[in-house]
Amino acid sequence: MISIQRLTKQFGPQTAVDALSLEIPAGQIVGLLGPNGAGKSTTLKMLTGLLIPTSGTATICGHDLLKEPMEVKRNVGFVPDSGAVFESLTGLEYLEMVAALYGIPPESARERIRQFIAFFDLSFETLTDKLLGAYSKGMRRKVVITAALLHNPPVVFFDEPLDGLDANAAVGFKALIQTLAREGKAIVYSSHILDVVERVCDRVIIIDKGKLLVDGAPAELVAAHRAKSLEQLFTSLTGGHDLEQKAEDFAKTFRP
Amino acid sequence: MSSPVPSQAKTLQRLYLALFLRGRGARGLRKDQAPRSIAQKLWGTIALYVMVGMMALTFVGQGSFLLSFYLHGSTLLFLGMFIATSAGEILFNKDEAEILLHRPIEPRTLLWAKVTVLMRVSLWIACAFNLAGAIAGSVTAKGAPFFAPVHFVSICISALFCAGSVVLLYQLCLRWFGRERLDNLMTTAQVLLAVVIVVASQMVPHLVLGMKGRMDPLVGKPWLSLLPPAWFASLDEVLLGRGNTTHFMMAGIGVLVTATVLILAFGRMARAYEEGLQTLAESRPRAPHKESQPGKRRLLDRLTSAPPLVWLLRDPVTRASFRLCAAYLLRDRDMKLRLYPGMAPMLVMPAMFMFQGMKDHSGAPWGVALAAGYLGMIPMMAMTMLQFSQHWQAADLYRLAPVTGPGPFIHGAIRAVTILLALPAMLLLVSVTCLFPNGFEKLLLILPGVIAMPFFAMVPGALEKCVPLAKPTEEAKSASRGGMIFLLMIVSMIVPALATGAQMVNLLPHFLLLETSVVIAACWLLKLLIDRKQWDPLE
Repeated sequence: MISIQRLTKQFGPQTAVDALSLEIPAGQIVGLLGPNGAGKSTTLKMLTGLLIPTSGTATICGHDLLKEPMEVKRNVGFVPDSGAVFESLTGLEYLEMVAALYGIPPESARERIRQFIAFFDLSFETLTDKLLGAYSKGMRRKVVITAALLHNPPVVFFDEPLDGLDANAAVGFKALIQTLAREGKAIVYSSHILDVVERVCDRVIIIDKGKLLVDGAPAELVAAHRAKSLEQLFTSLTGGHDLEQKAEDFAKTFRP
Repeated sequence: MSSPVPSQAKTLQRLYLALFLRGRGARGLRKDQAPRSIAQKLWGTIALYVMVGMMALTFVGQGSFLLSFYLHGSTLLFLGMFIATSAGEILFNKDEAEILLHRPIEPRTLLWAKVTVLMRVSLWIACAFNLAGAIAGSVTAKGAPFFAPVHFVSICISALFCAGSVVLLYQLCLRWFGRERLDNLMTTAQVLLAVVIVVASQMVPHLVLGMKGRMDPLVGKPWLSLLPPAWFASLDEVLLGRGNTTHFMMAGIGVLVTATVLILAFGRMARAYEEGLQTLAESRPRAPHKESQPGKRRLLDRLTSAPPLVWLLRDPVTRASFRLCAAYLLRDRDMKLRLYPGMAPMLVMPAMFMFQGMKDHSGAPWGVALAAGYLGMIPMMAMTMLQFSQHWQAADLYRLAPVTGPGPFIHGAIRAVTILLALPAMLLLVSVTCLFPNGFEKLLLILPGVIAMPFFAMVPGALEKCVPLAKPTEEAKSASRGGMIFLLMIVSMIVPALATGAQMVNLLPHFLLLETSVVIAACWLLKLLIDRKQWDPLE
């Protein structure tokens, strides 16, 4: 479903993503992990057409990212980590606008929006009357997730999707993406919450400084590297040494 | 039967019109309240343009060409200014990339949708301004019955020319200078465009006055064929059936140039537009400068920790506010796009006064006095603009800090605009004045403007509570603010006028003493008002 071939992005002298190659089949949830600045968001932005790769390419649902960008975009849903929306539209106006951009007829769009708001426990009045700028962070995130799934894309990229969601919504969301994967969607899930990734994802990819470090099922990776947990594997691979000692030293600075 | 799916173009046009009328940010607003804030101001602006457009009635006795030349000239200036100041936010909005760029939208469709909305609002303004002139051109003896509809057609073409030219300018900057320096280039291009427009606005009345009373205003002036208002005024003549060979030629140039600009801006260079948007989506790390040393303090930090700024910024909150405002004045793209084009008239007008003063053979130094009076307004203008920011919600930080009111933040902003903007402008004025014949003698006339400067700088903070960076940018679109600035510009000229009068009767030192006393008293009162300000509730 997703085939990435030596995808590279350079910003001046700095290489953000370095010749990344991957294959992601349909029905798989792939956790994309890495420390800050590892190149996760840049990778997702390239795969969704937000950024042009410096070299390499990718195919999504058989469409080349560089040669058929519009076809790729039609087959992709994206939840960016910023959660950016047009704040002066109401939730309904925003979702209907997104639906129209994908050519979804108004009646079908309204029906799908009703299904999503029922799932996320949003009230229709809030969606019609309140501007997005007045929404809480969690409500806004729900609207952004709905907007990414409205056109029923076969490939979905999530960048920190749980940011701002309450515990109930987060549980519901995790169940949702597992169901979507069972129905054949390829899902790439970028997050810093390692235990969620460990529980939800079939496969984990850890990148650092733009390079792929490990790729495999969470349990297999933990066992292969003789780590106690995914968290320990992550910190050992990405240079997170002596964190407890550093925290202790830092806390000491607050003592009178 | 299901309703048809609206096209992407229509959906996007509806979106951008809603964003324009409601603004891009909102907090605690409901849908039914939102349009009021911006749309009402737009109605105010349109009403203002209808009134200003009545100036055209003074040209009705001069024939349809001259009336049309004046209307097109003024319309192009207004539209150019409006499009140049709106284009940055509408064409290259940073947040938009993550909302729209991953959706299947062709860059050309996106660009057209934005330009269509810009054009639509431009035409509202153009129609408002041209209303009185078009009606007068249709009903007066020297006019023509079909002047109004014909003029509407040519106004539409000139609006297309104007929008296309601004878009093309951005695209060319993008192509020639690369994507790396896009932000700075867009700002520079916009500021330059604003300056050109202001200079041109000073030239149009002179040009029109020079043509008054001539049978054929174009005879003996081949350079007029270079001016867009002449092309579109000629188009009016041709469409009215009154055109001679020159009119046909110039109308042809107008149509041809407009078509070329549109083809280049929206056809061939639409790809560069997508690249520009993608550049804004990049949150790239800044490449380290070769000469920079790790941990080395910035110039701004060094300045604020050395005399005389360290004396002026003793209060830590005021110093923090100064540094925040200085950083935004010098680095923030949105701030630069709004502030410097808005300030351009403030900087060009003094140059015009100086130039007029030089031409005055009596040697009267009023040009220097007026220029200084005008420059004294810079801090006030900057303060009114500095209160708006795209990051206005971050200003909640002020309230989280243990500070009882916005006073120290306002004082920091006042010092920032005075030191970073007004002082360099004044130094430039002093340098230029010294280069004039008997320049040193005229230096004294700069003092009235300099002395009044602190008063003007404190007025916005004391009366309007201009807390820096604390209001959403869409609130900056206000017709009443334009009116207030216009009024204060008039007031700013009273002081230099009085000073010039005092000098003529050899009472300038007395005047300066009196002015200083009044300004000190007024500043003390304004400071008191600022210090006593309390935080407004968030909602």
